[in-house]
Amino acid sequence: MERNMESLVQVKGLSVGFRVFEGLLRVLDGISLRIGQGERVGLVGETGCGKTTTVKSILKVLPQPPAVIFGGEVLFRGKDVLRMGRRAVHQLRRSSVAAIFQDPLQALNPVFTVGTQLSDIVRDWAAGTGKRLSKKEIFRRCVEALAQTGMPDPERIMTCYPIQLSGGMRQRVCIAEALVRPVELLLADEPTTNLDVTIQDQILRKLDELVEEKGMSILLITHSLGVVMDLTERVYIMYAGTIVEEGKTEELFTNPKHPYTQGLLKSIPKLTGEGISQGIPGRIPNYLHPPSGCRFHPRCEHVMPICTQQKPPLTESEGVACHLYRGDVR
Amino acid sequence: MSSRKEAALAVWQARWKGLSRGWYRYSRNPLHVVGLVVLLLIGLAAGLAPYITPYPEHAGPYTNFREAGLPPSKAHWFGTDRVGRDVFTRVIFGYRFSLLLGIVVLSISVPIGVLFGLIAGYKRGSWIETVLMRVTDIFLSVPPLVLAMAVAAMLTPNLFNAMLAISISWWPWYSRLIYGMTVSLREQYFVRELELTGAGKLQILLREILPNCLGPLLTKVTLDMGFAILMGATLSFVGLGAQPPTPGLGTMVAEGAKRLPAEWWSTIFPALAIVVVILAFNLVGDGLRDVFAEEEV
Amino acid sequence: MGAYIVKRLLQSILVLFGLSLLIFFIARVVPGDPARAALGNLATEEQVERLRAEMHLDKPFFVQYYYWLISVLHGDLGKSLYTQRPVTQDLVQFLPATLELMLFATLISLVVGQTMGVLSGYFRNSWFDGLFRVISYAGVATPPFVIAIFLLFIFSQLLGLAPGVGRLPITMAEPPRVTGFLLIDSLLAGRPDVTLVALKHMLLPAISLAIAHIAQEGRITRSSLIDVQQKDYILAHQVHGIRPTKVIFKYLLRPSIVPTVTVMGMDFAFLLSNAFLVEVVFMWPGFSRYAVNAMLSKDLNAIVAVVLVIGLTVALVNLLVDVTIAFLDPTVRIRRRGG
Repeated sequence: MERNMESLVQVKGLSVGFRVFEGLLRVLDGISLRIGQGERVGLVGETGCGKTTTVKSILKVLPQPPAVIFGGEVLFRGKDVLRMGRRAVHQLRRSSVAAIFQDPLQALNPVFTVGTQLSDIVRDWAAGTGKRLSKKEIFRRCVEALAQTGMPDPERIMTCYPIQLSGGMRQRVCIAEALVRPVELLLADEPTTNLDVTIQDQILRKLDELVEEKGMSILLITHSLGVVMDLTERVYIMYAGTIVEEGKTEELFTNPKHPYTQGLLKSIPKLTGEGISQGIPGRIPNYLHPPSGCRFHPRCEHVMPICTQQKPPLTESEGVACHLYRGDVR
Repeated sequence: MSSRKEAALAVWQARWKGLSRGWYRYSRNPLHVVGLVVLLLIGLAAGLAPYITPYPEHAGPYTNFREAGLPPSKAHWFGTDRVGRDVFTRVIFGYRFSLLLGIVVLSISVPIGVLFGLIAGYKRGSWIETVLMRVTDIFLSVPPLVLAMAVAAMLTPNLFNAMLAISISWWPWYSRLIYGMTVSLREQYFVRELELTGAGKLQILLREILPNCLGPLLTKVTLDMGFAILMGATLSFVGLGAQPPTPGLGTMVAEGAKRLPAEWWSTIFPALAIVVVILAFNLVGDGLRDVFAEEEV
Repeated sequence: MGAYIVKRLLQSILVLFGLSLLIFFIARVVPGDPARAALGNLATEEQVERLRAEMHLDKPFFVQYYYWLISVLHGDLGKSLYTQRPVTQDLVQFLPATLELMLFATLISLVVGQTMGVLSGYFRNSWFDGLFRVISYAGVATPPFVIAIFLLFIFSQLLGLAPGVGRLPITMAEPPRVTGFLLIDSLLAGRPDVTLVALKHMLLPAISLAIAHIAQEGRITRSSLIDVQQKDYILAHQVHGIRPTKVIFKYLLRPSIVPTVTVMGMDFAFLLSNAFLVEVVFMWPGFSRYAVNAMLSKDLNAIVAVVLVIGLTVALVNLLVDVTIAFLDPTVRIRRRGG
């Protein structure tokens, strides 16, 4: 069903590296993904697998240097973001895409009030659409956005500085910043990682409601499988800068194909008390000298000779990038 | 036996590795290397001044009015001053006195400052801390140059008293630096744990806290060599430091300035010499800061 | 905030009290007789004795200090041996020239230093950045009296582009003294031509003072700007579609200048001491040259007064800096209100 849904975003063969002191870190190795109109997509992987780099590429905020984009494109409604001029990128950000970042403690400017930061977003968005909003109207929209996130006493919060708010409240402010203007796509990069578990749940539920209500697409980036299962329709599994598997969330989780995905699912601690999870032996490879062929092969229990030589493509039909599922080489 | 040897070898290897990594970071900026080379050259020239300068007797009260006020030439690279002394020779000797001043000032003020800082930081909350830090505050309440000038003025102006005056105004900066570091280090786990295991206070101060202050301390000492030399030159420039005929760099600039613009060389070369040595210390200090900086990701 | 300011002022008074005690103490413990030193070798024994009695040097240290303190509380800083006038009168005469020069130099260093720091931080690794870094290295390493001599030599003596020493040419009469600030007094006297000449005379000394600060503060602004630029919140502002110019001039600039303002208090103290040298080179008839002459002639009363005035100025400037930071950085403001 999602195959014929019109794509909003299409990332094709994106390869990104970082030039550092020791050499070149090849972080993203030709990843491709798409987000349909109004679709909820998850992107799952361990910390350090390139999720945030992916998001930053879509938003075109990767600092270059040190980042280097080797190839690929990021199409937003068919236009390549990576080749857009400054103006077009600004237009895209203010009216089409919003983002929530990992660390709410870092994502708010410490020397301006919440109100200042929020209302500037509304004002510049309105300027982009050619509207001129009165101060009162801007204030009303900001308060409304804060209230929508479940923030108590939004009028007072408007006059507060970030340092006066708790982590959970700051994250609500970040969500309000993302949703205070109508957008088509929300990129949520581990929006709850740094929060208490109880607050995580509240915030995610709220986010879910708001996305539903506004009918926007969302790319939810996380390392938590539970969150993805609850909130998304389709999911990409990422390992060391490559997409290893893709599919409908429910199907993928009930019937994982890629050895990495299987390991990932096994590593969830079970409440039934069947002992401690197994986890996957080894750790994420070094990007300076990534493994040849399939980047997962050093940790894979089904490793075959070909895995070290050839990188398996993500197949359309199976939705998995693994030599095990390729009849021709088997 | 062999395992002990191996352990010793491993320690040396680790040290060597640390050193080479330090040098790697230091030399990432070529300016730092230039600074180091210049500094070594100046140090060598200053140390060997009596043997390598063309007219070593010109460093003192020598006069030869027939050669007075000569412009730069092959015989006198930086020209001669108003009484016929070779400016180049006097600049090299000036370096000798400047470096001596820097070394004396720092070897007086650093130990005092470090000691006060360590004690005050470790005795946090007691009256000792209050007394030490209030005294430090008083010394820091006026710019060091002003305090040094006031002290130098009350003493007989000469090179040694200038060193003393600068040292008096300098130690509080070290006590403030080390105090801050000691206070923050004390809060860290490894020191707390040591305290719990009952390690002696002296041991903790000298073996745990002081070594951790060494990086920033070394950086500051290097940068301050430049500033101490600057202050020495300043004091002798206004007449509160080295007195003629001692070839203090500041004294030479002040004497030459009276004869600007005609005999420009007797001012401009000593002035440039001051700039070069301070610049070199600054570059090396910045390089050391890079070496000791927290590992960047 | 008010309570905080009062507390800080009281602390400053205590520090100044300690400072005066320190100076008296040093004057007393150094070898030699201050009275003899002040009068020189030619004075007779009776003259020296009389001065010793006048300065209470014949009494114990604390008695001497007590007498001094009492007269200070009555607004009397004693008599200057160098000018033979009350020290307070000297201060009133010489301070405005220095203040005028320092304010002008501060203005130059703020405008030029901040602009260059911001530009070189924003266009990091560009040719401008490279140029600024070289200049700032040289600026920090060059003593102000060397800069002063170089500028005087090049622009005044070689090229003849700038006037020489002093506040005004010898041939030009000073306007009637009202504030002691030549720029203001000449305007009050209806002589804008004199204002212009005075401004020209102030240019070289002010630049000599400003260069080190342009280098220093510019460098701090540069690195702080680079630091803030990499913060998540700047990224967030961009991503939220705030106009790029607004992100730079509002959201990036304000947090970036906080560290610079923090060091400005200490920098002002250095500006004050650098004025000592620059005034000597430019024969500026100001407070600093007076101070140098007082020091050279071992004029104890004047030295104490000079050091205290500088201590007071530094304390006030630091307070001003703290208030400014509280205004710029709510974190500081909120923390201070809390504790």
